[in-house]
Amino acid sequence: MKEIQQIPVAQASRTNPFARVFDELTAFCRSRSMFMLHYCTGCGAIELPPAMTSRFDMERLGIQPMVSPRQADILLITGYVSVKTLKRVILTYEQMASPKYVIGICSCTVNGGMYWQSYATAKKLNDYMPVDMYIAGCMPRPEAVIEGLRGLMERVRTGEANGWEDYYRRYDYYLGHQQRLFGEAWQTPTNVIQEAEHYGLAGPETEGEHTALLRQHQQPLEPLEMRIGLKERV
Amino acid sequence: MSVLELLLELVLMPIVAFVIGLFMVLMMRKIGARLQRRVGPPVFQPLYDIVKLYGKRTQVSHGLMHDIGIIMAVGGYVAAETLLPMPGMNGIAEKGGLIALLYVIMIPSLGLALGVGQCANPNGSIGISRALTAMLAYDIPFVIVIFGVAWHFGTTNLVDIIALQQAGGIATWGAVEMPLLAIAGLFGMQAMLGKQPFEIYVAPAEIATGPMVEMGGKYLGGLFVMQSFQLYTAAVIYVTLFLGGGENWLFFLIKIFAVVAIPMSIAFLFPRYRTENLVGLLWKWPVMAGLIGVALLMY
Ligand code: SF4
Repeated sequence: MKEIQQIPVAQASRTNPFARVFDELTAFCRSRSMFMLHYCTGCGAIELPPAMTSRFDMERLGIQPMVSPRQADILLITGYVSVKTLKRVILTYEQMASPKYVIGICSCTVNGGMYWQSYATAKKLNDYMPVDMYIAGCMPRPEAVIEGLRGLMERVRTGEANGWEDYYRRYDYYLGHQQRLFGEAWQTPTNVIQEAEHYGLAGPETEGEHTALLRQHQQPLEPLEMRIGLKERV
Repeated sequence: MSVLELLLELVLMPIVAFVIGLFMVLMMRKIGARLQRRVGPPVFQPLYDIVKLYGKRTQVSHGLMHDIGIIMAVGGYVAAETLLPMPGMNGIAEKGGLIALLYVIMIPSLGLALGVGQCANPNGSIGISRALTAMLAYDIPFVIVIFGVAWHFGTTNLVDIIALQQAGGIATWGAVEMPLLAIAGLFGMQAMLGKQPFEIYVAPAEIATGPMVEMGGKYLGGLFVMQSFQLYTAAVIYVTLFLGGGENWLFFLIKIFAVVAIPMSIAFLFPRYRTENLVGLLWKWPVMAGLIGVALLMY
């Protein structure tokens, strides 16, 4: 494990000497200001209110709840994800603006936990989306949640928490798992491949057999029809 | 005053306003935290939020109007700051006056309405329709208050209004001479800032922050900047009209922070009204207080 961490990672060199200062400032601010979207999927969610309110007060770490995926930085998955909720979780994740982070709270997100034998839950969350931080426990205490969040903050500050890049780099892999669970016709409203190109992250593993399958079934997205008045009953 | 000095003031005034506004946002969050027995955010939290939001690599834009809407929302307030005298700097306040100010501070709401309209998110549209309804509701008492103040001082020039109040001391402050109008103004300010119980258009639990629902990254950053300007603007208007403006920076800061602390302390104690209740309430009490106040002034 140690060796893996020491493999030098090539950094794109920036020509502007101030760029580095600026990057560090942004990274610091990123780590000190996290808007979280808590998608409370399972029982573990019950430990979030004490972590947010007066007993432990997340706001002193700069973490505050937000209500829409567009505004959020962290997606908190608190507990088991059933197949049905996983679809919503993926839609939500894809709508968030990068850089974005996922935290899996509870053992159920790590390996299925006590729902291991259930036919209706997804076992490993990081098969379907990149998870930056797992907080294990059934359920983890608020202290553990705060500890996990602090860990994530540290990783964001040093620039290690870049799981979201993985989602765009290896979209085919994640899509494959999603298709295995939801069937071949699975598609989300977000065009992930185009976004990967936008971020400059599209690589050899972004597209593959699964995205080819997606292309085959994909229905073009249509803007919602704007209509005034009620639809006539038939 | 030379052109250069004026230009310098025009650049400085919004910047100073923004910095003060950041501290007002901090104060708001601190008050909320203390009322809920929490510690609250660190001192630079509002700044972290804004830098973070501008640093996001968002790819979402809903079109040209969406972008222009945000620029209008921030730009409207930047323009308003140059019309609001602060100690030592008057900007173009003398040329503008109350009426121009009244128009300029409506621009942000309209800009937001245009921008959000293009998102085609139903929550956003509901939020904006509520915001414009709220504007309709608080503008009536607000206009009555402005009229009363202008009638009392005999001018709509903000610099003159401040000079008149400062010349006569505390006894000639708007709040002392026109207490009813001052109360109506406070009421209106609560609604103008969109604080509970008048928080109908943000309503996170109900319409997912309304106008902000589709705003991520830089767009939300723009709205955060707008919020700090908004707090500053509302406070300075109130201080200028009723509390004699700022004699010097110390008194100015004390007054404006005290003024915004009032709606914020009230806000965290209340839930939210429905839209029609808000309109009814605002058209009844502050309008009544304002009209009686104006009648007393004229009598
Ligand atoms: S790990 Fe335990 S507490 Fe958490 S979701 Fe699973 S069963 Fe519930």
